[in-house]
Amino acid sequence: MDAEARRRQLVAAINRVVGGDRAALRLVYSETSAKLFGVCLRILGDRSEAEDVLQDVYLTVWRKAASFDEGVASPITWLVAIARNRSIDRLRSRASARANVPIEAAADVPDASLSAIERLEIGEDRARLRDCLQELEERQSAAIRSAFLDGFTYEELAEKARVPLGTMKSWIRRGLLKLRTCLER
Amino acid sequence: MSDEDTIGAGEHHDLTAAEYVLGVLGPEERRRAEFRLASEPRFAAEVAFWEARLGGLAEGVPSVAAPAAVWDGIEARLSAALKPAPERAGLWQSLAFWRTFAIASAALAAASMAGLVYLAQIPQGAPLLARLNAESGQARFVAAVNEGGDSVTIVPAELLSGDQQKAFELWLIPPGDKPHSLGLIDPSRPVRITLPKSLLPQVNRDAMLAVSLEPPGGSPTGQPTGPVIANGKLASL
Repeated sequence: MDAEARRRQLVAAINRVVGGDRAALRLVYSETSAKLFGVCLRILGDRSEAEDVLQDVYLTVWRKAASFDEGVASPITWLVAIARNRSIDRLRSRASARANVPIEAAADVPDASLSAIERLEIGEDRARLRDCLQELEERQSAAIRSAFLDGFTYEELAEKARVPLGTMKSWIRRGLLKLRTCLER
Repeated sequence: MSDEDTIGAGEHHDLTAAEYVLGVLGPEERRRAEFRLASEPRFAAEVAFWEARLGGLAEGVPSVAAPAAVWDGIEARLSAALKPAPERAGLWQSLAFWRTFAIASAALAAASMAGLVYLAQIPQGAPLLARLNAESGQARFVAAVNEGGDSVTIVPAELLSGDQQKAFELWLIPPGDKPHSLGLIDPSRPVRITLPKSLLPQVNRDAMLAVSLEPPGGSPTGQPTGPVIANGKLASL
């Protein structure tokens, strides 16, 4: 099956979940859980917590499937957003601080090895994003990547980079403004 | 993407949607952004814009096979959710939490202690609670879903100035959904509100409760029209 067919299959499965079809949820799970587990694990840094959140993610998919709109987001974009949001919610509700992940860690995420389905779904947007990120200052793009991938708050990012909070906010906000201008071109 | 998905030229200084998607907001700011997401279509469109554009960053994150126990847990929770038996979570533990929270709050008015006593009289088994905070982070209401899950009791946690010109309207916002009115509440005493049957499946721990100020008689549009003075998520503690 080619990537487009798999994408359509995923869209159809999510639409079947709306009607309470558990086999369809199982299909969505088997197609995407490894990707989403990777995303949760990256943000939470704790396996058992990531497993717990991953369950929440698919229960959210079960409940929210009706809100999936193919015209607004690709299935992977939609699912990754749910996984990140659930992970960040968990992170913010934690009482204790989490293990230190240096800001440079964001740089170690490899850029290659896209699966065919991912390439198809986010290929164009991704290429654009890569170009636009390259137009930013290094520290701006590093902060933005780390925020997205590791779920750090402004405060945490500032602490990791050893700069004042206002400086970090200004790096990221200026970066986002430039990014928006570039992405809209 | 259509033009509707892009961001208007006039909004170039409001980056809240981008900051929300990026995940850099603190817990309170994040909650406010979630409320806007549920109640402002324009804000939701901006969030969708950034999710689509920034989503590519996740692509380099390596996939990791999840253990089989995760799917088993999902199945078990789906099956449990289909049964009517409510979760017998420790309400007393929850109340202790609220009480501790309440006592710690210097601004707490005497009225709210009466409210907490009232809450304590709700039978055990009420599984879901929410603390509805103002923008400042101060608790303004606490709410509990009652045993049976078909009504909610909302209790003021501070004395709010009684503005006769405004009505206080309670909203339920299921994740990814728009606000549904639960009716008007009294800011000076505990109120028990029966939940509409159509909303019962949406009353779970991901849903948000919010209170907005509306014209007398409530929102004329069926959606919040005035400022949101407090909001918070339902949680089972």
